This record gives sequence, C-alpha cells and structure tokens, in this order.
Amino acid sequence: MIKEIENDLRDIVGEDWVVTKREQMEDYLIDETPASARPQPAAEVVLVKPADSQEISKILKLASEKKIPVFPRGGGTGLVGGAIPTKDGIILSTERMEKIEIDKENMMAIVEAGATLEKLLKAAEEADMLFPPHPGDEGAQVGGLVVCNAGGARAVKYGIIRNYVKGIEVVLPTGEIVNLGGKLLKNNTGYNLMHLMIGSEGTLGIITKVIFRLYPKFGATATLIVPYENRHDAINTVPKILQRGIIPLAIEYVEKDTIEKSAEHLGKKWPCEEGNAFLIVIVAGTGIDEVYSESEKISETCQENNSLEPLIAESREEQDRILDIRSNIYTALKPEIADILDVTVPPANMGKLMDVIDKIAEKFNAYIPTYGHAADGNLHPHVMVEKGKGLDHVKKLKNEIYKAAIDLGGVITGEHGIGKIRIEDLNLCLSEKEIQLMEGIKKLFDPNNILNPIK
Amino acid sequence: MIHNSGEAANERPNIIVLLKQVPDIEEVKFDTEKGTLDRSSAKAEPNPFDLNALEAGVQIKEKLGGTITVVSMGPPQAESALRDALARGADRAILLTDKKFGGADTLATSYTLASAIKKLGNFDLIICGEKTVDGDTGQVGPEVAEHLGIPHVAYVSEIKKCDKEGFVTVSQMGEYRYLTELKSFGLITVTKDINEPRLPSLRDKLKARKSEIEIWSVDDLTNGADRNKFGIMGSPTSVYKITIPSVEGRRGKIFRGTPDEATKKFVEELEKILKV
Repeated sequence: MIKEIENDLRDIVGEDWVVTKREQMEDYLIDETPASARPQPAAEVVLVKPADSQEISKILKLASEKKIPVFPRGGGTGLVGGAIPTKDGIILSTERMEKIEIDKENMMAIVEAGATLEKLLKAAEEADMLFPPHPGDEGAQVGGLVVCNAGGARAVKYGIIRNYVKGIEVVLPTGEIVNLGGKLLKNNTGYNLMHLMIGSEGTLGIITKVIFRLYPKFGATATLIVPYENRHDAINTVPKILQRGIIPLAIEYVEKDTIEKSAEHLGKKWPCEEGNAFLIVIVAGTGIDEVYSESEKISETCQENNSLEPLIAESREEQDRILDIRSNIYTALKPEIADILDVTVPPANMGKLMDVIDKIAEKFNAYIPTYGHAADGNLHPHVMVEKGKGLDHVKKLKNEIYKAAIDLGGVITGEHGIGKIRIEDLNLCLSEKEIQLMEGIKKLFDPNNILNPIK
Repeated sequence: MIHNSGEAANERPNIIVLLKQVPDIEEVKFDTEKGTLDRSSAKAEPNPFDLNALEAGVQIKEKLGGTITVVSMGPPQAESALRDALARGADRAILLTDKKFGGADTLATSYTLASAIKKLGNFDLIICGEKTVDGDTGQVGPEVAEHLGIPHVAYVSEIKKCDKEGFVTVSQMGEYRYLTELKSFGLITVTKDINEPRLPSLRDKLKARKSEIEIWSVDDLTNGADRNKFGIMGSPTSVYKITIPSVEGRRGKIFRGTPDEATKKFVEELEKILKV
C-alpha cells in the first residue's frame, strides 16, 4: 500500500526528500522514550521531508484520499512515543522548515515548525529579547513543543509553552491550511481553535508556523542552590516564596543521589556539598540590585524553613552548568529507566505525593528516583528497570503512582502528554463523557482518521 | 621555601591572585571598525580562568593557611569582580584604576600589575588564569613574572604538592606533561582543568557587597615605577584589525549517479573544501 504512493510523494516534495530505505530512517523510528516502554515501529513506512505548508497540504490530501496514516515528527525528543509510526504509513518530518523571523515592534517571533528550541533561544537573544521557557532538550522543534504543549523548567514566572503561543498556521488532515490567532494579545473571536490545537499531539493537524510572544531580556539573573537536610522543608518552602510576592523564573526540586549522578554523567561536579534535597531557584530582574534583593528574601524564607546555607551562581557559565546538570538527570538515568512519569498535583500536595511514592517504593522494594518542577506541582518519579522484575512490575508500580496523584487531585501527565504509551491510562482521570467529546472532535477534524490514528 | 624578600618564607603563604573583569564572551559584540570589543553590549563577569586561579589559591589556603590578595586592573566597575573574589575566599582586594592605565597592551598591563605587587611587598605565590577570554593572549601572567624577575610556570593543570618546601606543578602542553618543582616564590598560570571553582554562598556574596575594595591610582604606584610605562604610553602594540570569522552553517548536498560516480563527485567536493 505504501509502495504505491512513493512516486506521488516524490512528485510533491521532489525525489531527494522521500526516504524509503529502512536503514536511512532508523532515527525517525524512535524518540526519547525509554527503550522498554517504547512502542515498536511499523514495518512499512516512508519518510517525507516537505519544504512548506503547501507540500504538507498535498501530502495530507493524498493520505486522506488513500486513507494512509501520517505520523508528524519534530525533533523526536518526546518521552511517550508520540512520534513513533506504529502503523504502516508516512512519517512527515518538518525539519526543512526552520526559518525564524523576529518582529521587534510587536515583540514576537514567527517561527517555522522545524526550527529547534536552541535556534529560537539564540534568535531571540540576538534580537535582545528573551524566550523564557526551557522545556529540557534544546533539540526539540517548535512544532513539537507547541503541539505537545511542553512545560519544563522556567515556567513559574510566565507559564508553559501554551502561554507564549499567539498564533499558528496549521494544515488540517483534510489538506486545508488555516491560520489561527495572530500577533494579538487579545482575541475573543469564537471558539479558540488555536488552544485546541496546542497539546493535541499531532492528532488534529500539523502545525507549520508559530507566532510566539517574546519578553524583554532580563538585566540580570542568578541561580540559587538551596540545600536542605529534609525534603519536606524544601517542598514546604516553595509556596512561602510565592506568597511573599516573589515569582522566580524557575523553582526546581532535586535530590542528592540523582543530581550527583547527572553531574558525574556529564563529567562535572554538583557544586553543593551540604544537604540531601535541593531547591534550584532562578531569579531574574531588571538589574543586579533587584536580583540580590529578591535572592535575599528567598534566602530568608528558605532559612525560616530550615534550609542550610544557599549558594549563588551569577556568571553565565556557572548558571548554565547548574541548568545543564538539572536537564541531564534523565539522560544520566536513561539506561536504567523503564518509564519516566510526569504526574502533576495541586502544588500544595507535592510533599504528600512524594511521601506516598516513598511508601510505594518501600512496598515494591523498588528504587524510585524523583525530582520535579516544584512550583508547578509537577513531579518526575522514575520507574526503573529491575532485574528479575518484568513489565508487570513496571505497570503495577506506575498504576499505584497514578492512583496516588489522582487521589491528591492530580493528573497522570502534566507535560509529557499521552502519546502512544499512556492511552490505556487515559480513563483513569478522564470521564467517559470527556473521552467521547474528544473522539467527536477528532472525527470532525480528521474524518478519515489518518493523523496519528492510534489515538 | 624562600620568600621573595630573600628571607625564609612564612609557613602560611601570602598568595596573590590576578583577576580581570571581562564581558560575557557569548553575548559581547565586536566593533570591527575600532578593532575593539563593545563592552557595553554584554554583562561583565570575572574572567572564568581567573576563578580557577582563585580556587587554586583558596585550596592552598585551606591546606596551609595564609592570605589571599586579589589584584585587578580595570575601570571602577571592575569592583564587582573583586567583590565576587572576596565572597569566594579572598581576604583583600585591590583595584588598580586610573585613566592613565587605559589603553594598555599586555606589556603595560603586566608592568602595572607587577608594580602593584612590588608595592604589596612579601608574597610566596602569584596565581593567574592561563589567559583572559576577551584578550586570549596568555601573555600577562608570564610577563608579570618577568617584570618581577621571578620564576614562572604556565598552563598548570595540577598542583601535585604544596607545602612549606615549595610547590610541584604539572603543566599540560599538548601531549606532554611537564612536572615542575618550584622551590622558591614564583608565579603560575592555571588552566581550567586544575579545579572546578566553588560557588560562593549567598551570605558571603551579600557580605562582600559591603566590603572595602582598596583603590590604587597611578600616584600610588609611582614610587619606583616609571609613569611612562603605564597605559597607552607604555604599549608598543595596538590592534591593527579585527575580523570575525563567519560561521558556516550545515549544508546539505546530494551527489547523484552510480555509487562510484557519486563517490568521485563527493571526494572532489571534499578536496575543494579542504583546499580553501
């Protein structure tokens, strides 16, 4: 079936941009999902790399007509198998579409879907502006960031990816190209289809262009490492900092064993010798005096909550080193990870969730390294591969953690999404009616069920 | 170990660390017409290599005791780099600042720093970063030692031994490692491999904001130094031209034909690029 359309695809994108040999597309068949949780890619797939939204439109029209599944793909940095082609079909990579235009007057960036986060951060900086969020891997592409509504660190002050998106260009599964939103900060015209697209994980359309809001560059930033002997003291400090009227750029929670492992993995040293649990707080302001003044207040609050002596990093190199060690916990642990969870609870329940996870670890006699975005109530417990314990063990452990999060008013995923590996678990926190509505929406946008059709 | 005054050295060494404030090199813009860096375009921070020098000093102080004096030459705003050094373990900070020090090349800079060290008097060891990220010459450290007429070891990546008998250092020079024993006072320049500078505590940082930085001008150094050797007057070198190498992005190219033909074309293309 796929063979039949290869020539049609060549006619659309040119013969250089259609890949049919399996060995030339290995990297496109997987993503960053841990190997043991990752779904198997289908046997018969073709990879296409269109140059623009017109070509994507033609491909989707063809796929709709032939009822062939299409798997849109960005940087392949997802953790839930979202980009893996699980049925015979077309992998559609937007990597060639990577232009970035900066609109200084409106303080916005107009970015094609294939541009990487790294490129966007750089372009904003070169224009003396800032794209504040940092959802981990900088190899992620903009289309993927938006369609998966990425979160990550640096979401405390201005929010997650959704909060920055002001407009998108989307190719619908039936081939129409629509522009939703625009360079607008206020827009109340009808249902907000743009926000429906954000987080739809490539099931409703292929995002080809995004308008992001940018912010002025901070005059100064500093990264504090606040060590604690006791994890609860660390977690309890977080709402106190916010209640005091200080909204840092990021508040991350990490523990000694995992952060030291990550540092070692990078050939670096975790700079804080004291403590078992740490808050990493990124403070940003218009100038260094403001940053010091906020840091002093944060430090007071931390010490009122039994922290040890906070350290401060100010130079770019030292701040980057800390963020890098934090961002690489996953890569350091990856060979031993069975699944990385991203359960999210109301922020004030974060400590309780961690306690329940401790009990689950004890019950299953398992090691569950845990860290997360402390101010967002978003925690990453890792289910590890353990010798002699099979997939059943992983599933049971995962379900207990999910249940704990839901009991505390939370959800099973706060940022990684459903992808292909959490579909079965969706009914744990969504009602039948909600799922029905979602299925109806999918049908309306994609009557032939071609885009990421497993969902 | 012998002190620079000719007497037996203190068991607790007097260490001098030379430190420069530099612009964040990732952010800074170049003024190609003037041949200079536009320092206002980026945040200022201590030269990263100098933080390794300071950390090396702090580690020696932790082992043997003693004091660390940090000396910097720069505009008045370089005070913040010295405050950073105080928060990281230095005991005393001196800023050499005067319009007459301006426009200095490495010769005049090292002469000025050496004059300040002479004024300071007793020392056992001077530690510098191997180079600065804005100048990138690696000359100032050794030149300071030459002005002072003391031994020096460059590119030290490890201090193997430090005690009252002296220092044994390892310098990484490409594939070779040089082991040097420093029995008397001297100067070393250190690479990034020597250590990972520790972060200061916020408390020390806030305390250092209120600490005193000693300011020395030309008049403080002229007793014994030649005024004409400071700043632009004492600088025989000047920047003739500055060029920014263009960064080539990744380019894709497809070579068509049979495998043999395509390989031939590919090799030809490669040769063309390599010739350039």
